[in-house]
Amino acid sequence: MGDGSLGRIAALVRQDCRLLVRDPAPLIIRTVMPLLIMSFMQPLFRAALRADDVRDANGAEQSVPGMAVMFLFFLVNVVGFAMFREHGWNTWDRLRVSPARPFELVTGRLVVPLVVALVQLTVFFGAGGTLFGLRVRGSYLALAVVGVPLAACVVMVGMALVALCRSIAQLSVIANLLALLFAGLGGALTPQSVLPDWVRPLAPGVPSYWAMRGFSTVILDGGGMGAVLLPAGVLCAFTAGFTVLTLVFFRTGHRKLSWS
Amino acid sequence: MPTDPGARRAEGAAVPALALRGVSKRYGATTALEGIDLEIAEGEIMGLLGHNGAGKTTLMSLVAGLLRPDTGKIEIHGVPTDRDPRRARRDLGLAPQELGVYPPLTVRQNLRFCAELAGLRGQRARVRAEEVAEPFGLTALLDRRVSGLSGGEQRRVHTAMALLHRPKLVLLDEPTAGVDVETRARLIAYVKELADDGTAVCYSTHYLPEVEALEASVAVLDHGRLIARGTLPELVRSHADSAVELTFHGGVPPLHLPWPVTHDEDGVLRVHVEQPQLATADVLAALGESARLLVNMRVVQPSLESAFLRLTGSGAPDRRPPASPAPSPVPSPAPSAPRTAAPAPGAPANTAPARGARAIGGPDEPPGEDDHGPLARDLEAEQHG
Repeated sequence: MGDGSLGRIAALVRQDCRLLVRDPAPLIIRTVMPLLIMSFMQPLFRAALRADDVRDANGAEQSVPGMAVMFLFFLVNVVGFAMFREHGWNTWDRLRVSPARPFELVTGRLVVPLVVALVQLTVFFGAGGTLFGLRVRGSYLALAVVGVPLAACVVMVGMALVALCRSIAQLSVIANLLALLFAGLGGALTPQSVLPDWVRPLAPGVPSYWAMRGFSTVILDGGGMGAVLLPAGVLCAFTAGFTVLTLVFFRTGHRKLSWS
Repeated sequence: MPTDPGARRAEGAAVPALALRGVSKRYGATTALEGIDLEIAEGEIMGLLGHNGAGKTTLMSLVAGLLRPDTGKIEIHGVPTDRDPRRARRDLGLAPQELGVYPPLTVRQNLRFCAELAGLRGQRARVRAEEVAEPFGLTALLDRRVSGLSGGEQRRVHTAMALLHRPKLVLLDEPTAGVDVETRARLIAYVKELADDGTAVCYSTHYLPEVEALEASVAVLDHGRLIARGTLPELVRSHADSAVELTFHGGVPPLHLPWPVTHDEDGVLRVHVEQPQLATADVLAALGESARLLVNMRVVQPSLESAFLRLTGSGAPDRRPPASPAPSPVPSPAPSAPRTAAPAPGAPANTAPARGARAIGGPDEPPGEDDHGPLARDLEAEQHG
C-alpha cells in the first residue's frame, strides 16, 4: 500500500464521485421512495406490532428499519452498474493497463456505494424520527453497530454478483430478486412473528434477518451495544462470505456485457 | 525523423523498448499469433500493418497485459512482463481501438483522472492534463462533456488519455479510425514529436499513407505471422510490385515477353519490370506488331500499398523472379503463393482500394475473451440449452 496505492484508490473514488454528481437522480429517488413507502406501511405495521403486544407502537418501529433494510439491498444494483459501465464505456481495459492493481480497482469501486449506503441509513432513521415519530429506546451507537456491517454486506453482495454475472441484465434481475427475498425472509416486509411457520427456520440464513433483529433489539427492546454484538457479528460474517466469493470468482480479464 | 531499427541495432548496446520472442496466442482452435519475434527500439515508430484478423490488436493486448501469451516472452525496456509485470508496464501507454472515455464527464475530468491514476495530484495533475490537451487541440474543449464532442474529438481525448503519464512505450491501435484529415495530421505530428523525445510507438493502422507520413518502420502481420519487418524503403524495394500496364484493342494478343506478366479480369496485361518508367521503351519494342493494337499504357510505381498487397498474397504476379532477400531483422518468408487473375498491385481498378484513402480492410475485431464466471456459464448454458 506504500507505493501510491491509496492515491490510486482515492483517484478511483473521486472519479466515482464525479460520475455520481453528474447524475444524482437515481440516488435521490432511491432515498425518497422508501420514505413514501414507510408512510404507506406505517398503519399496517402499527396494527401488526400492537397485535404482538407492543401496545404503544406507532408502526415506525417496523416500517422504518424494514424499508431501510429492503431498499438498502437495492443498492446492490449501484455497485453492479459502477463496474459494468466501465465495460460499456470500454474504460475497463484502460484501468487494467493503468498502474492500479486489481484489488485497488475493486476497493476504489466499493467506497462510494458504501458511503451512499451509510448516508441512506442515516437519512432513513433521521426521517423516521422526524417524520414518522420513530422512538429509539436503546443506543444510537448500537444502531450504527448494526448499520455499518449491514452496509458493508450490501456492497459486498453487489461485488460478488459482479464477479458471478456476465451481463448487467443478469445482475439486475438477481439483485432485485435477492432484495425482495431477503426482505421477505428477514422480516423487513412483515414482522417476523407473522411469517409462515415454514419460513421462520430459513430466516437466519439471510443477512436482512440479522439486520432487522439488531435494529428491533435497539428500537423496541432498548438494547445497547452488548445486545447487538451477535447480529452485528453475523452480518460481518456474511460480509466476509461475500468477500470470499468475490475473491474466488472475480477476474479482471472477464468480459462483461453492459447491456444484453 | 526516419526511424531505422536496423541502424539502431547496428549501434548495438541499446535495450529495445519492446521485444517479443516467440510469442504465440490461440483462441480455441484459432491461431491469433504464432511465433512472433519483434523488436521496437527507443524513439522508433513502428507501423503495424495487417488485414482484419491478422493479429494486430491481439499483439497489442499481449504487450499491454490484457491477454497472456500461450508461449514466448515479452520484454519492455528489458524487463520481462511475466516476471515483473507492474515494473515492465509502468511506462506503457495504450490507446485501444475502441473508444474508452467517460462520456458524462468533461475532457478535463477524463484527463485528470488518468493523471491521478498515474500518481499526479492537485496542481500537477491539472497542469499535466492541460499540457497533453494542447497538442491534441483539446484546450478549448477542456470543460465540455465528452458525450457532446464529435467522434474525432472523442478519439483525440481517448488517445490523449494514454499519454498523461509520459509513457516510454506507446501502443496506438488504429488511432485515426473515423477521424478527419486535420485530426489525423495533428496526431501524426504529435506521434513524431513523441518519437523525437525517445518514446517508442507501435502504431497500428489500415491507412498506409500514415505510415509514410510517420516515416515509420513497418511490420506486416498476416494470419498471425510476422511476414515482413524493415524500414519503409526496404520493404518497398524488396516487396513492392512495379509494372507497365498495357490495354489492347480486342483483348490481349498472343505475346512472348521476356518479363513476368499477369492478366487481370478487365483484359489488362501487367508486365512486371524493375524500373517501369525506364522500361517502357523496351516493353513497347518487345510488343512488335502487337503494339499497333495498344490503346493504353500506364506505369505502376512501387509503393507500400503494392508491397503490402503482395506480402499478404492479395496481389501477386503469376510468374515472377525470386524476390530479393528480406531486409528484415526477422526472417521474412517468401511471398505467398501466386494467384492467377489476382488484383493488380497498385492498380486503380475496382480490385484495389481507392487512391487517396488507400485503406486496407477496416477496424479489427477486438480479441475475443470468453472466460466467465461459473454462474455466467450456467446462465449461458440455459439460454442455449
